[in-house]
Amino acid sequence: MDQNQFETVIGLEVHVQLRTESKIFCACSTEFAQPPNTNVCPVCAGYPGVLPVLNRAVLALAVRVASAFGCTVQESIYFERKNYFYPDLPKNYQISQYKVPLGKNGGVELETGRTICVERVHLEEDAGKLTHKEGGSLVDLNRAGTPLLEIVSMPDIRSPREAFEYLRTLKMILQYIEASDCDMEKGSLRCDANISLRRRGEERLGTKVELKNMNSFRGVRDALTHEQERQKEVLCAGRTVVQETRLWNVDRQRTESMRTKEEAHDYRYFPDPDLPDFSVPDELIAREAARVGELPLARKKRFAERYSLDEGQLEVLVGQKALGDFFEAALKYYSQPREIAKWIIGPFLEQVNALPQGMRGVSISSQNFAKIVQYFSEGKLNNLAAKKVLATAVLSTQDVDEIIREQGLEQISGEDELAGYVRDIISEQQEAVSQYLSGKTQAVMFLVGQVMKKTRGNANPKKVKALFEKELEKKRS
Amino acid sequence: MKEFTEMSGVKLARLIAEHELDEVQVGTASAARSRAMDADLNCFISVYPQPIKGEGDSALRGVPVALKDNISVRGKPLTCASKILSGYTAPYDATVTVRLKQAGLQIIGSTNMDEFAFGSSTENSCYGPTANPWDTGRVPGGSSGGSAAAVAARLVPCALGSDTGGSIRQPAALCGVVGMKPTYGRVSRYGLVAFGSSLDQIGPFTTNFEDCAHLLNVLCGADPRDSTCASVAVPDFTAVLNSGVKGLTIGIPREYYADGLDSQVRAALEEVQEVFAAQGARCVPVSLPHTRYAVAAYYIIASSEASSNLQRFDGIRYGRRVPRDSLGEVYGYSRGSGFGAESKRRIFLGTYCLSSGYYDAYYIRALKVRTLIRRDFEQAFTQADVLLTPTTPAPAFLRGEKTGDPLQMYLSDVFTSSANLAGVPAVSFPCGYTREGLPVGAQLIGRAFDEETLIRAGNAYQQHTAFHARIPEKYGPESV
Repeated sequence: MDQNQFETVIGLEVHVQLRTESKIFCACSTEFAQPPNTNVCPVCAGYPGVLPVLNRAVLALAVRVASAFGCTVQESIYFERKNYFYPDLPKNYQISQYKVPLGKNGGVELETGRTICVERVHLEEDAGKLTHKEGGSLVDLNRAGTPLLEIVSMPDIRSPREAFEYLRTLKMILQYIEASDCDMEKGSLRCDANISLRRRGEERLGTKVELKNMNSFRGVRDALTHEQERQKEVLCAGRTVVQETRLWNVDRQRTESMRTKEEAHDYRYFPDPDLPDFSVPDELIAREAARVGELPLARKKRFAERYSLDEGQLEVLVGQKALGDFFEAALKYYSQPREIAKWIIGPFLEQVNALPQGMRGVSISSQNFAKIVQYFSEGKLNNLAAKKVLATAVLSTQDVDEIIREQGLEQISGEDELAGYVRDIISEQQEAVSQYLSGKTQAVMFLVGQVMKKTRGNANPKKVKALFEKELEKKRS
Repeated sequence: MKEFTEMSGVKLARLIAEHELDEVQVGTASAARSRAMDADLNCFISVYPQPIKGEGDSALRGVPVALKDNISVRGKPLTCASKILSGYTAPYDATVTVRLKQAGLQIIGSTNMDEFAFGSSTENSCYGPTANPWDTGRVPGGSSGGSAAAVAARLVPCALGSDTGGSIRQPAALCGVVGMKPTYGRVSRYGLVAFGSSLDQIGPFTTNFEDCAHLLNVLCGADPRDSTCASVAVPDFTAVLNSGVKGLTIGIPREYYADGLDSQVRAALEEVQEVFAAQGARCVPVSLPHTRYAVAAYYIIASSEASSNLQRFDGIRYGRRVPRDSLGEVYGYSRGSGFGAESKRRIFLGTYCLSSGYYDAYYIRALKVRTLIRRDFEQAFTQADVLLTPTTPAPAFLRGEKTGDPLQMYLSDVFTSSANLAGVPAVSFPCGYTREGLPVGAQLIGRAFDEETLIRAGNAYQQHTAFHARIPEKYGPESV
């Protein structure tokens, strides 16, 4: 049987942690990596008699995400209880949204031009974390009550690669609108996938398999690829795919059956009587929609058109919103896009990536940065000096001119001053001069190096080289 | 301390303020008397070694108060009269506890109740049943039977209970005291162990309406910790104590006086009407046509919510845990041995009503009935300012009389659960005694957030009658 007769159908369920200081229904901190059970109060630990109170910042962020996806936002929302017993769930019910999600019918446009429909986005609280040890399990409730937004795509994705692309785009959008850090390692983004195969041209969906336990975008892609091939083999062999949940085993690079027979779960959803209906006023929707701003794809198109940058530069500058913002801000002071881009992607990012907080740890103004690039381009600073100035300036608000003065880094470009150094070296380095005159013209570089050494790197090397050649040619004749 | 059994809370506070009485001595005496009397009554789950005193001030400063044992008091055991909470100590104060402390009352202990407030007789307690001070062979009603009996026996001038379908008013009626369920959203539920979250309301037990008004002043008001607590202005409830009932229209809902009502109760209620009429109120017949569906809708909604609310008692974080090898068995054995029979019955009932396939037929349908009942009241309140009904169909029954027949027991709530479904305030007060010497309770039901009319009418009644001043023989002044 021809394997290409099958079409892959994928839908993704993504949980992202919304970026708030405190939990969704209490005032506990959402800070990551704290000692177990320290960010816990009677409310998020589900003690008898406690009541949830909605964190309004959560609602605003959720509305922002829904707007970014172009979802229809409900005028009024309510929460439901999803009832099931598990030790990481303190109340043994999760406060979630079921029947009526906060937003529905949106979409995410990919760079390929395809749009993946977002069926629904809804709010819910996270559970705690279980650690299994010999002789028992430990419960850490720090994460319990963390605000989550579940983003459910339609089965619109047609390949593992497209799933990867969708996730990458989703993450970039959520980071752009500052709704989530989307850090899979910290658990602020999690993804489950549904995948099925069907014969090309067929409308009806095939039997789907749910994939869990992927902890990177690559993991999602690899798990889907593996599962796609597995299902192809099953179908080609004339067997049928079993509806089941499979776990991605990253070490063995394969999916493994978790439970073939889906436990008949009845979550007994019903409206949470502890929480009233919350209206989502038009003003809130308008305010949050305005905060969405330019999305990555639009920015990339605009940058490409306006600044004629190459693909690699675009990827980097658009990949992090703060970098693109910085780029455009610097352009206001020195409008040479390619030069600015080169310096951002090269020396600047090198400094930024060494900072624990990344762009958030940077103090340099776009104006100071533009000055450094300009001084370099105009020959006022040589490459080395410019990088040295940048290294200081990145963590400072001091004026660049001041830094240059303090460090004595201004490039020496005056002909007369340089000619003096050149003459001195010619008289000091007779051997190299003879070598040059005897035809080994590359000896000039040694002489240039001597001037650089004397000027502690501040001489303009191009000019020095030209001066040497002029003087030495004079000697030859 | 002989005096204080006959004294109202307000009077006690006044004597304390005037240094006629010592606050500490009052607290100690109340606690000592409670301990002594509890051998017969069993209305306390615990009388604290030292009363918990707040530093604040109010018209009730220094007055002893007891709390139903489903209201959190920081550092004290909270049992809900259930084995499943054995060993649990509340790590925080309920909002009402904070307010009592801020008003300077002294909390002397926690009172007995039906387990998790499931019951109408205070027989479903793992600490044993509470006795009715008027006849210790009879039940005090429930589920707040401990609080009602403690006030009736004058162990404390006031106490708090919770009312989901009648759990304050029904025991108040059976014990001959004043018990009010305020409007849903009037008093914060934060710190009250939830039974039926959309119905539960904390309220006061007192011997008279003046104390009731003062205690409401302490308890009511918005709370940022409870999203269902209304941000509605709270009046000074004592301002209407002497407003009288002249010009008031009192509705008499026909459905509450149907066949099956005890003849002595009926006679007592007719006399209440006469007292009001004599003072210038007008009594008019009204109808609440969906009353007969109230108990069914109430038991579906309350049990559904309870089944979910009680899931947190699983033996994992606090309370009773039966160690077993598998998680499923830990849950099963901890809950199986921790919950009593009635709790299990309600959990089963609620779980069933919320299950897929039954949800629409039971839970959703009950919500529709609830809407109809709410409309009944809205309609009735276009014709009357307040409604007057019996609180219960009959006076206190014998211990064990209804334990074998849950349905019969559930019908004790027949006159009270409608007010919870509609969210409106209602109060029960003593309006007579049967030939056997058992108190009869009358109920006033008001418009939402209009507790003032209940206090106004209730106090007018008490200014012209003396039923509320009667004390069970064994617990009178000579019993001190």
